[in-house]
Amino acid sequence: MASSDEKPGPTPVATGDKPTPPGEPTTLSSKILDKGAGMMQSLEPVKEMKQHVCTFALYAHDLSRQIETHHYVGRLNQDVLQCAVYDSDIRKANLIGVEYIISPKLYETLPEEEQKLWHSHAYEIKSGLWVNPGVPQMLEKPELENMACTYGKFWCTWQVDRGDRLPLGAPALMFSPQPVNRGRVRPDLVQRRDEKYKISTEELRESRVDIQEPEIHPNADYWVKHNKGFAVDVKPADMKRLAPFP
Amino acid sequence: MATSHVDVPGEPTETGTALLETATGTIQGFQPINNIHQHLCAFHFYAHDMTRQVEAHHFCGHLNEDVRQCLIYDSPNKDARLIGIEYIVVESLFLTLPDDEKPLWHSHEFEVKGGYLFMPGVPGMVERQDLKQVCKTYGKVIHFWQDDRGDPLPLGIPQIMMALTRPGQLDENIAKDVEKRFGVSFEEQREQRKDLTGPDHGIHPLANAAGRGLKTELREVDIPPATSMPRVFV
Repeated sequence: MASSDEKPGPTPVATGDKPTPPGEPTTLSSKILDKGAGMMQSLEPVKEMKQHVCTFALYAHDLSRQIETHHYVGRLNQDVLQCAVYDSDIRKANLIGVEYIISPKLYETLPEEEQKLWHSHAYEIKSGLWVNPGVPQMLEKPELENMACTYGKFWCTWQVDRGDRLPLGAPALMFSPQPVNRGRVRPDLVQRRDEKYKISTEELRESRVDIQEPEIHPNADYWVKHNKGFAVDVKPADMKRLAPFP
Repeated sequence: MATSHVDVPGEPTETGTALLETATGTIQGFQPINNIHQHLCAFHFYAHDMTRQVEAHHFCGHLNEDVRQCLIYDSPNKDARLIGIEYIVVESLFLTLPDDEKPLWHSHEFEVKGGYLFMPGVPGMVERQDLKQVCKTYGKVIHFWQDDRGDPLPLGIPQIMMALTRPGQLDENIAKDVEKRFGVSFEEQREQRKDLTGPDHGIHPLANAAGRGLKTELREVDIPPATSMPRVFV
């Protein structure tokens, strides 16, 4: 019915070079309603996102498809983070997925089959690809040491880079950049990001040379050893019911 | 709570970490997050298993008048787990979706008219202005963290979820629990929402898992070999 590694069928929605969703501009009355609701509701969980990270990710079924991502990171505790992932940092950015980040201690408790779905962050951080826009290096450095040891699990729900103007298809697993040819990020993507934030990934890499290289668990970054990635299929199935449906 | 509350494993946040995040929280920009203006509470169940029902707290923003995107948490509290995402589109956009895609989306008419979808803290009259529109929309929900089955971490693969489409589906205990905790009455809401109407063309037969059910599966794939990607790079 749908697979994360298949292009969706042709429709006006799937075509188009601009991923802006189709639709009318937000009306004034909607804005007023939103503002009103926003004043009466506390939106607590959303306030917990306190870090913006800009980095890159690769599709787990096709490493040549690479995207710049904007993670808005919330912390559950010292060992677990949860991120809302967008395709840019503007107000109308598309919400393209969710990433979870855990410490090595927790990663080790996962069953082997589960561990395969997670990726390491060491290279992404040490190479300078992962940045906290606007945060002075001195401030971010101590936390980067911790982040460099973590593992992430990233599901992409909107494949904006293939031109989908709405979130189509099955969710896709994503992997992190790795220091192996196919895992390296295209220079033009990095350059465009650097120009936008007036930073230099290369300089960041040099400044992070002293970040300790953690030992990466053998089950992470599955494709590196096995030359295989993952896709997700959505298939028709019988629903266990307790009442008629639909 | 409707979901089984297993603690998330891990140590409490260290002071240094918390301080840094207070700083980043102040210095950095959060525009996409600031676009989130609304909290909606509703119920989802797994597209292959209606008996597993989840109280879903949606935090939504408009991309435009016709498309919303929501972060779904398991509670409205500070320590809530981010368990999924929902996208909401108006009927005209839903109709443009490929037929293979439509089953992954669900209609909102019943849960809105039934009173089961509500905006905590917002007076009924204001709520209903927006619900008039939501009633006609379709949603696509994907969950990543099955904490209803006690998963301490987001294990496994994403799950397509469905929403209520007729009376008798929502577990009564879950319903009463939510009504009590949020001080709402679904029945009262139902009375006040009688004039709301669903999609102009009726609920599409392919929506709601095409009337059957859906499951997700993981598949290993061969990675296309390195082609002419530039060798210079990071």
